[in-house]
Order: sequence, then structure tokens, then C-alpha cells
Amino acid sequence: MEDAAPIGPPTASELRADPVVQSALEAAWHDSKPHDPDTRHEEGGWIYMNLTTGEITVRRAAAGYQSEVNLANPPHVTGHVVVGVFHTHPNPSAEGWEPGPSEADRYADERDGVPDLIRADNGIHDSGPDSRRGGLAGGPGFPS
Amino acid sequence: MSSAQLLAPQLSSDEVLRVARLDAERAYRDLTRFVIRIVRESDGWHVDFDLKDAGTRGGGPHYVIDPESGVIVTKRYEQ
Repeated sequence: MEDAAPIGPPTASELRADPVVQSALEAAWHDSKPHDPDTRHEEGGWIYMNLTTGEITVRRAAAGYQSEVNLANPPHVTGHVVVGVFHTHPNPSAEGWEPGPSEADRYADERDGVPDLIRADNGIHDSGPDSRRGGLAGGPGFPS
Repeated sequence: MSSAQLLAPQLSSDEVLRVARLDAERAYRDLTRFVIRIVRESDGWHVDFDLKDAGTRGGGPHYVIDPESGVIVTKRYEQ
């Protein structure tokens, strides 16, 4: 992302292409321990945009469970707004697990109003709106 | 419908739930994160394990089970 005052929130495609987001997704995937059936679990976090520079940063959430993670309460980051979330689906599609968003994922993503990037073993899936609902207005957390 | 069909034994909801639970325990390490919904539909028993905390992202297993044989007709492991 460019270091210039942003005119709008990034789209899911733009977030996917951002090196900060890519790095966060891969770190979360690694921390999910997808190759260990006894300890694999979901990881995730929030993606923020600086309202002055347009810079993208991330914050990680607490580790989740085997098939669940809580992203409901993004921490406040001064001068930033939440423009996305991300999480992992570490359970293997080869064993019948759905790699894409669950019904609960889709519900939460529509409720929270920002794109959700989901790292699974077959790539990255999108869920939720294409960009933060209502633009950059509406407070620092999820759009109201 | 023939009398044989009318008299075909049907599994109880407890028996169907046991089939689903045994499969779910093989895939999911901990079932205490879920509430279980079991409903008899025209295509069989639907057994759904839904997250207790509706505010989180994730998912559980979902089954359609044959009411006579107890065979799992379809299953979906959400995460």
C-alpha cells in the first residue's frame, strides 16, 4: 500500500496483494500447526489501515480451537480503522474438511462488515463484503 | 407404500445421534464446543453440530443419516 492519505478502504484483492497481509497470513498458517493432527488449531487477527498514511498493519488474536477462532473484539489502534480480518482453516481438505468459509464465518463476516481472508491448505478464500462497509467512516473498530 | 415399507424399522434419534457422534469424535478433538441439533427430514435425519458461541468464526460437522440403516448419507466438516 502507498504511504498517502487513503481515499477509501482496500478491497479484498488489494489486501491479498499487500505484503504485510501476506506475511501475516503465512505466519498465522505456520502457527496453526496444520501438519500436526493433535494440536492444529485456528489462528487469526485484524487488518488495520492508517487514516493518515494508508499504511496497513495487523494485530493477532488469541489462538483459537481446532475449528474456531474469536475475532469479535478488535483492539483499538490509534489513528487506524479495521479494514479486514484474517484467519486460518488448518484441517486438511484431503480428509474431507471444507477449506472455504463456514456458515458461521459468512454470518460473522457480514455482521462485522469487513473482508475476511481465510488461509487454507488449497489457498486463500474470501468471505464477507469486498471492502469495509461504509468506507473509512464509522469509528476505529468494525463499521457500525 | 407396501406393508413391508410401512413396517421397516426406523432408528431412534438416540441411535442416529450415536452414529453422528462417533464420526464427529474421530474428526474433531473436542465436541464440547458445540450444541447439537437433530431433526427428522424427508431425506433422513439431519444432525448438526453448531458452535455454542454464535459470535465466533468456525464450524462443526453436519450429517444426513439414513433413518433405517444408520448409514451416513452426506457429511460436511466445517471449520
